[in-house]
Amino acid sequence: MDTSTVKIILQILHYLFFGYAFLAIVSYIILSIISGKETLEYLKKNSFVHYKDILSSAMSPSITIIAPAYNESLNVVENVRSLLSNHYVNYNVIIVNDGSKDDSLEKLIEAYDLEKIDYIVNEKIKTKPLRAGVFKSKNPAFEKLMVVDKENGGKADALNMGLNISKSKYVACIDVDCLLLEDALQKMIKPFLDETNTRVIAAGGVIRIANSCIIRGGKLIDVNLPKNLLVQSQILEYLRAFLLGRMAWSRLNGLLVISGAFGIFDKEIAIAVGGYDTNTVGEDMEIIVRMRRYMEEKNEKYRVSYIPDPLCWTEAPDSYKIFISQRNRWTRGTIETLKKHRKIGFNPKYGSFGMLSYPYWLIFERLAPIIEVIGLIYFAILIVLQEVKWEYALAFLVLSYMFSVLFSIIAIYSEELTFHQYKKKGTGIKLVLLSALEPFLLHPFILYAAIRGNFDYFFNKKKKWGSMVRKGLVTV
Amino acid sequence: MIDNLPLSANFNESPLLIQVAWIASCVLLSVIILLSIYLKIMRFHLRKKDKDNAQFKNEYEAYLIEYLYSGDTTGKINELQDSIIQKLKASVSIKSKRKIIISVLYNLMNEVSGEMSVSIKQLYYNTGLINYALKRLESKRWHIIAKGIGELTRFKIDEAHHKVSKFVNHPRSEVRKETQLYLVSLFRFEGLSFLNNLTTPLSEWAQIQLLETLQKFDDQQICDIRPWLKSTNDSVVLFALKLAQIYNQFEVQDTLMELLAHPKKQIRISAIQVLTHLYGVEAKELLKANFNDLSLEEQICFFGMLEKLVMPSDEPFVEKYLFHKNFEIQLLALKILKSINIDKYMGLSETTTTEKDSSMIKLVNTL
Amino acid sequence: MKKIVLAEDNTTLSLLLKFRLEKEGYELFMAKDGKDALDLIETHEPDLIITDIMMPFISGLEVISHVRIKLDMDTPIIVFSAAGQEEMVLKAFNLGANDFMGKPFSPNELVIRVKRLLTVIPIS
Repeated sequence: MDTSTVKIILQILHYLFFGYAFLAIVSYIILSIISGKETLEYLKKNSFVHYKDILSSAMSPSITIIAPAYNESLNVVENVRSLLSNHYVNYNVIIVNDGSKDDSLEKLIEAYDLEKIDYIVNEKIKTKPLRAGVFKSKNPAFEKLMVVDKENGGKADALNMGLNISKSKYVACIDVDCLLLEDALQKMIKPFLDETNTRVIAAGGVIRIANSCIIRGGKLIDVNLPKNLLVQSQILEYLRAFLLGRMAWSRLNGLLVISGAFGIFDKEIAIAVGGYDTNTVGEDMEIIVRMRRYMEEKNEKYRVSYIPDPLCWTEAPDSYKIFISQRNRWTRGTIETLKKHRKIGFNPKYGSFGMLSYPYWLIFERLAPIIEVIGLIYFAILIVLQEVKWEYALAFLVLSYMFSVLFSIIAIYSEELTFHQYKKKGTGIKLVLLSALEPFLLHPFILYAAIRGNFDYFFNKKKKWGSMVRKGLVTV
Repeated sequence: MIDNLPLSANFNESPLLIQVAWIASCVLLSVIILLSIYLKIMRFHLRKKDKDNAQFKNEYEAYLIEYLYSGDTTGKINELQDSIIQKLKASVSIKSKRKIIISVLYNLMNEVSGEMSVSIKQLYYNTGLINYALKRLESKRWHIIAKGIGELTRFKIDEAHHKVSKFVNHPRSEVRKETQLYLVSLFRFEGLSFLNNLTTPLSEWAQIQLLETLQKFDDQQICDIRPWLKSTNDSVVLFALKLAQIYNQFEVQDTLMELLAHPKKQIRISAIQVLTHLYGVEAKELLKANFNDLSLEEQICFFGMLEKLVMPSDEPFVEKYLFHKNFEIQLLALKILKSINIDKYMGLSETTTTEKDSSMIKLVNTL
Repeated sequence: MKKIVLAEDNTTLSLLLKFRLEKEGYELFMAKDGKDALDLIETHEPDLIITDIMMPFISGLEVISHVRIKLDMDTPIIVFSAAGQEEMVLKAFNLGANDFMGKPFSPNELVIRVKRLLTVIPIS
């Protein structure tokens, strides 16, 4: 190869990277605009809603909260208590103790006066068998509670057990270590009841970060911005992702993920597609993609809804080690899901699901870290070849940095004008400074974790199949 | 900031693309700085508003309670009450304060009955709040109209009937729903007459709210629901089915029987459930005869009916389904057999072959 | 002076009832939720408990069950319930509630019921 061919190749790569970055930025701008519109519409719609009727009506549809627990002995009693105090009449709670090795079950039996009942599981979805069996409380005050003790099979398997047992029309799948606010069920069930000619198959909520917040007796008393910079950065990241990203995708009816920490599903559809997939680490994304696919193939009008109110609060990882392993898992989950359902991608038969959502996820979520790494390598080669045009490089680096800071600030505005959770004096300026720092604090580690995830997925099969045992967020 | 960069010396000579990029960066930076400063101001105001609102709420709560307790049995407004009205009137013209006053009044209106709720309504008139609500109905924006109707509903302002009822066919479903709720909250079952020519669907949420509103009244004298059961609007039929169940409409059984052949599955299933509730023995015989033509969901639902309305003569029918492949049908069939012929049921465990069946039999036995 | 713990999350209503009952000569302790209510009950050992059924965190039902079972007290209990909560009211009675009032109610009627429960000496 002579130097001119090399130059042409470099030129082409150059334009490809430039085009990719440009498209990414344009997509961010478009998504922000759509989310702004959707947020306004949501606030308008909810400015006169009275939830009181629905929460006390016996005619309201039944909901089962399914919360899988694995070695949660430390907090399980308190967490269950908060699940039992939701403001909704027609609901019950199933705690699936997924083969815990600690004394979770004993603690629950003791605290809630449980006794074993005879029960046969209607195995609509195949799961690992029961271990100690099914328990209910003797005390009528805890009548809503059911505890199911089964052999360990991972989070997806535990959720499937809950799906088999639930007698409700809807199921709310949540992480047991999440704090659910008392109006969570009424707000989340609304989209299912509002639609008249479209079937809502699932609804997802926002996940808020509970680190440093004061929680007393299962209630959120005070919201604080944590001191830890890693956690702070994640707060900003979540604000961007939920208030700007998902809000917009919900408007486009293109949501591919409902966070595993809190989502409500139409049970009939969830069971019809065979429940959660136990062979993936990304079961929360996978089931939504599968349910959507099922509806598309049946040619029925459907929607995946999204509620932006801060209803579910959870602890975020506060050390880089746990953070990286969490993101590593998310990356593998995304790869597995997209690969399993690659038939959908760029397939006009699946409408905007196949032509817009799937390609967006593939190009801007799945491939982004890989493209970034290739870009870095390309840049390194340019340096070696002394081909770098520094005035270009610097100008565009600064521009993209400015853009990312501005994007974070827009997310902060979106939060302040809607839910305004961080009320304390001085938090505003901290969030602004964080917008400037976050690209250095979080992004390199997300990139690293994503690359590790790719590596583990392709070359470390043992990890791929071995990491199925549920490991929730660590609560300290 | 460009002046401090080494490249700036030849900024004017550099390529256009670079110039554009730097200019864009500078624009973004200024936007960032401006937004950051404005954020501080905005947050300050939000905090202040929160604090003020909490203070006003306490203040207005105290006024309201003083107003209510200083009244006498005659219902005439005395001097103290008049001074409170004047104080509130002064605040009502400010939007944020008006909002708080309305929420304080409503919070109590909903919880107390009798003369006290009447005097809260009186206060709503006397402070002029009602005029603001009526003005909202003239707005061009749908959510303002909906809010206005909602407020008139909560304070039970029946004088606004003509102004509100014209929104019953509004293009936005939210406005229609608020209008329907208004009509039913104020005129009870008579208010339901909008169902007669409703062409738009009635969402599940709207149905629940209407039913809840109806159940709040002491007078539960319901009108004839047959026309709604025969409606061409499927959501009206489903709503009427709920009414039939809640208000035990035994007299509409014949119409319900017709619905068992309705083209919509959801309606057929609801009809089975309502007939179960109303002890529809005729329906049971009809469904039993056509059992094989029913969809699986209807079959399950029918077994639910049979569980409640079973007679010894149903035994041969039930026996056919003791080992049905559907879990729910099998469970119900076993339960039913156990209730009508315990001896035969006990004999079952000797004849079963599979482990699943015998564990089912054991389970039903413990129930 | 007889002591009453009142658990109700609607602040306007609880203020209204507080004034009304204080005028009748009772000492009132106000709780915003079930948890506050239990704390107040344990520290003040009231002569009467009035609680809403639907409350944040610890429901009225749990308050009743805690008082009757864990604390083993036979303090009279009145519960408030909204329309559509009939089932809950039945449960409340099963757990040992003495009286109930459906919302909306008249404060005067509440006073009459309070007086009745506080003058009749419970047979234990």
